[in-house]
Amino acid sequence: MELFFMTLTTGIMVGGIYALVALGWVLIYKCSGVLNLAMGELTLIGAYVSLSFYSMGIPFLLSLLFSLIIGFILGVLTERIFLDRLIGEPILSVIMVTVGLSFFFKGIVELIWGTDTRVFTPPVFPLEPIHIGPLIIGQVYLWSFVAAIILLCLFMAFFQYTRWGLAMQATADDEMAALSLGVSARFVYATAWAIAFMAAGVGGTLLGNINGLNISVGYLGLLVLPAVVLGGLNSVPGAIMGGIIIGVLQNLAGAYLDRYFPGGVKEVAPFAFMAIFLLFKPYGLWGWERIERV
Amino acid sequence: MSTAFLPCGVYHENYPQDHAWWQTRFVRGKMTLLFLVLFVGFPLFAGPYSISVCNQIGYTILGALGVQLLIGYCGQITLGHAAFLAVGAYTSTLLVLEFPWPKFLTDWGLAYPISIIAAAVVAGLWSVLFGLPSAKVKGFYLILTTMAAQFITVDFILTQYVSQIGGRGQAFSLPPGTIKIGPWVIDNERKVYFMMLVLVVLCVIGLSNLLRSRVGRAWVAIRDNDISAEVMGINIVKYKLLAFFVAGFVGGIAGAFWISNLAAISPEHFPWFWSLWLVGVILIGGVGSMHGTIFGSMFMVVVMELLQIAVIPLADIYPKLLLDFLFIKEAAFGLAICAFLIFEPNGLAYRWWQIKNYFNLWPFSY
Repeated sequence: MELFFMTLTTGIMVGGIYALVALGWVLIYKCSGVLNLAMGELTLIGAYVSLSFYSMGIPFLLSLLFSLIIGFILGVLTERIFLDRLIGEPILSVIMVTVGLSFFFKGIVELIWGTDTRVFTPPVFPLEPIHIGPLIIGQVYLWSFVAAIILLCLFMAFFQYTRWGLAMQATADDEMAALSLGVSARFVYATAWAIAFMAAGVGGTLLGNINGLNISVGYLGLLVLPAVVLGGLNSVPGAIMGGIIIGVLQNLAGAYLDRYFPGGVKEVAPFAFMAIFLLFKPYGLWGWERIERV
Repeated sequence: MSTAFLPCGVYHENYPQDHAWWQTRFVRGKMTLLFLVLFVGFPLFAGPYSISVCNQIGYTILGALGVQLLIGYCGQITLGHAAFLAVGAYTSTLLVLEFPWPKFLTDWGLAYPISIIAAAVVAGLWSVLFGLPSAKVKGFYLILTTMAAQFITVDFILTQYVSQIGGRGQAFSLPPGTIKIGPWVIDNERKVYFMMLVLVVLCVIGLSNLLRSRVGRAWVAIRDNDISAEVMGINIVKYKLLAFFVAGFVGGIAGAFWISNLAAISPEHFPWFWSLWLVGVILIGGVGSMHGTIFGSMFMVVVMELLQIAVIPLADIYPKLLLDFLFIKEAAFGLAICAFLIFEPNGLAYRWWQIKNYFNLWPFSY
């Protein structure tokens, strides 16, 4: 039973990071209709940028801020250079452009930073675990979770209370109406990509703190896909819940199923679960159901 | 893409003429020449390096045919085709190495040919299994289930379980002499080349003929508008699953063929990258066109080889470059896909069609 609660808490905390990355994904999809398969590489870029700043001796929060700024710039550039020209193209073209982008980014990241695992030295978070009642939690997990939740709240506040955030909500809801009311769609698209880059960068930095940073963190970024499918593609609360559920599911599978299926069950479980889930509830838990029989 | 315009002064008088493979004498001559070059001229004069490049092209064509069928003709986007190649390759390997063949079959060298067919069928059925969600979902959700196919098949089942059969650990080694067709042992590039050529020609002809039959037209109807296809009386689920089966079948042939070129086979030969690579190939060549599959494969393989040749002299100056070539290749591939989709969304096949038309219609191009 103790094992169960341990894995549950760890799962929720890792899930918080996934939720952050999934938020970025859903934002792009809601605002511009682009299904982004490059999310894993976005997490990689952000993580490596903040790691580089941190290794130069800059304090962690400051290097995180720098990586946010660079993520913002890269996001706007990506949207302007690649995605802007593809508005109105078929779904396959847009998806494959993001796949192309993911290869491009991955190649560049590997060229610059190599493939060896790097760690944040000195460790950002203290190594001693915290005891909460009978539970033992690594401080990395706890602080990552807290950071992810703070950022999630910040982004939510941005959507609720600022002019730009409201413009983005309007565009996501009804693009034509938003355009006729004077919202600039191009501005909204660019902002959505910038925010996705920033959220993914923070998520990647936190994930890199947990296990060290290498290319496989990009694979963890890919886990947002099961998360958003679970929550429904166009629902922000759904993405957050989906991220947490996927984190829990992954850790539970690692803890309990590993005995029966030795090896990489932890990595595959979210995808297997997603494939089965799609058969029964194709539009996720909170997604819009389009009535369309095939 | 329709066929090219006929040259001035050529008319068809009946239906078979209109649907003939090679419609004019010029085309007939051109194709005969092409086949002569491919089967006789090229292997006679080319060195081992260019032959091995050709083998890679052939493998890419065989792999991309299934993707082309699913994406280009049936509209079912797949990002996990390498899984079916892997299933084919592993089935064939396991059959050749582990199956208790009767003595006379191995003596006649029939074990490998039979295993190719078995591999194709198994891969086709495996593909149908992951095509089942296509009965219910489409578009992005289908992409996700095919991705799941890749991760479940290659990273989980093959790596964790199939690789353990026979206690070999990670890789199955294929001792020289095991791959044998009839009296010929496939042991050098040239023999692989001939086998590749026969398989590619058979698959391309078979698939092209299938595509202009009732089945192929049903697929195209589903691609263009699935609801109106159903209204016209096409059983959508059946035809979608059939498309998955045929795509997996060709993929299985590709995988089973490729083991003849490898000394050992391991799951690393079929990464997710390879699935995406195949989709990139048909996008660059042209979606919905058999020419496109072939041109795309040729283009991608040759460009990557040229890139490698260009990198080698630079490596004297920057030795790190050689180590990083894999990453340069990845980045270049990504950029190529983006550039083609943005600037040349119809692919290379469209240019080829334009060139043919230009010469067919010349000098009266209107």
